[in-house]
Amino acid sequence: MANLKDIRDRIKSVTSIQKVTKAMKMVAAAKMRRAQENMEQARPYSSRLSEIIQNLLPEVDRDLLPLLEVRDVNRVAFVVVTSDKGLAGSFNSSVLRKAHLEIDEIGKENVDVFCIGKKARDYFKTRGYNIVETHVDFWSDLNFNHAIKIGNGIVSHFLNGHVDEIRVVYNEFVNVATQMVLTEKLLPLEYEEGEGAVADRLYEPSKDEIVKSLVPRHLNVQMWKYLLESFASEQAARMVAMENATSNSEDMIKDLTLEFNKARQAAITTEMLEIVSGAEALN
Amino acid sequence: MGTFNLEIVTPTRILEAGDVSYVRCPGTDGSFGVMASHRDAVISLGVGEIKVTQGGKDIFFATSGGFAEITSEKVQLLVETVESAKDIDTSRAEASISRAKGRMTSKEDVDDTRAEAALQRAVNRLKVSKR
Repeated sequence: MANLKDIRDRIKSVTSIQKVTKAMKMVAAAKMRRAQENMEQARPYSSRLSEIIQNLLPEVDRDLLPLLEVRDVNRVAFVVVTSDKGLAGSFNSSVLRKAHLEIDEIGKENVDVFCIGKKARDYFKTRGYNIVETHVDFWSDLNFNHAIKIGNGIVSHFLNGHVDEIRVVYNEFVNVATQMVLTEKLLPLEYEEGEGAVADRLYEPSKDEIVKSLVPRHLNVQMWKYLLESFASEQAARMVAMENATSNSEDMIKDLTLEFNKARQAAITTEMLEIVSGAEALN
Repeated sequence: MGTFNLEIVTPTRILEAGDVSYVRCPGTDGSFGVMASHRDAVISLGVGEIKVTQGGKDIFFATSGGFAEITSEKVQLLVETVESAKDIDTSRAEASISRAKGRMTSKEDVDDTRAEAALQRAVNRLKVSKR
C-alpha cells in the first residue's frame, strides 16, 4: 500500500497541473476568438480580389507576368505552416506528417522547404531537408506585414526559377472541434475557365495593368489567409487538448482521493488493532 | 444630388462609409472622381489621398494603393491600407521619411525602389494628416 504522504503529494501536484491547463484553455479560447474575427474581416477583401482575377485571367496572356508562367515541374517548394509552441494535440504532428509524405513522394532532393513556426523548423532541420527560409517568433503579434514578408520570400524564390511550383501545407479552421490539414497550390496561379470578364465594364488603365498589380496583392492576401487559418486552428486545437487534460486530471484527483482515504482507514484500523492487542497482552 | 453606398475594404478591416455623394480616388493614371450612377468599372489605385463627401462634409483618407470596383449597387475600394486623416501618426510618418531617405543615400546595397516606395507612402500620409 502506497504511503499517505506520497498520495497527498501526488494530489497536490495534479491539482496544480490542473490549474495550469485550465488557464491555458482560457487563454487559447480568447486568442481563438480574436483569430476568428480577423478571418471574418479578411474574407471580403480576398474574395473580391479572387473574383476580379478569375474574371480577368482568361482574357490576358500568361506571358504578361512572370508570376503567371507555367513551367515543367522539376523542383517544388513546400511552405509548411506550424506553430511555435506545442501542447496543441495533433495540430503540428498532422501537418508535419502530411508534408513529410508529400515531400518524399517527389523526392527530398527536389524539394525546398519554407518553415513557418518553430515546430516545422525543428522537424525538417533534424531530418536534413533543404530549408530555404524559416519564420519563427511572430505568432504572438501576427499582422498583415508578416504575410507580406513571408509572401515576398516565396514569390522571389519562384521568380528566380529555383522552383517551378509552390505548395502550402496548413491547418484549415473548420470549427472549434475540427481542423483539416490541406495542401494548396499557391503558384503558378490556376483558375477554372470562367465565363470571362463582365461585359461593358471599364478597366483602367488596362486589363493587363490591373492583372499586374492584382496578382502580387492576391498572393499577399492568400498568405495572410493561411496564417490566420493556421493560427485559429492552433488555438482551437490547444483549447480542446487543454480541456481534455483538465477533465483527465479531474478523474485522477478523484481516484487518488479514494486511494488516499482507503490508505488512511487502513492505517487507523492497524493502529487500533495494535492498541487492542497491546491492552489484551497487559491483562 | 444622388448618393451611393461606399465601402472601403482592407485585408484587416472593413470601413463602411455608408451613403456618400462623391468620392475622389488616386488612380494610377491620375485621380478621378466617382458620383452616383457611374458606369461599371475596375480601376487601379496608387499611393495617394481618398476624399469622400458625405452629407456636405469632406473626409480624407491616406491609402497605399489597391483597386476601386464600381458597380451599380455600390462602390468598393479594395486597398491594402487605409488611414483616416485624423488617425495618422505624424511622428511615425516623419520617422519613416527619414529612415527611407537614409536608406537611399547609404552606400550599402539596399533595394532603392523599395525605399522609394516607402518614402512615397510616408510623404503621402504626412500630407493627408494635414487636411
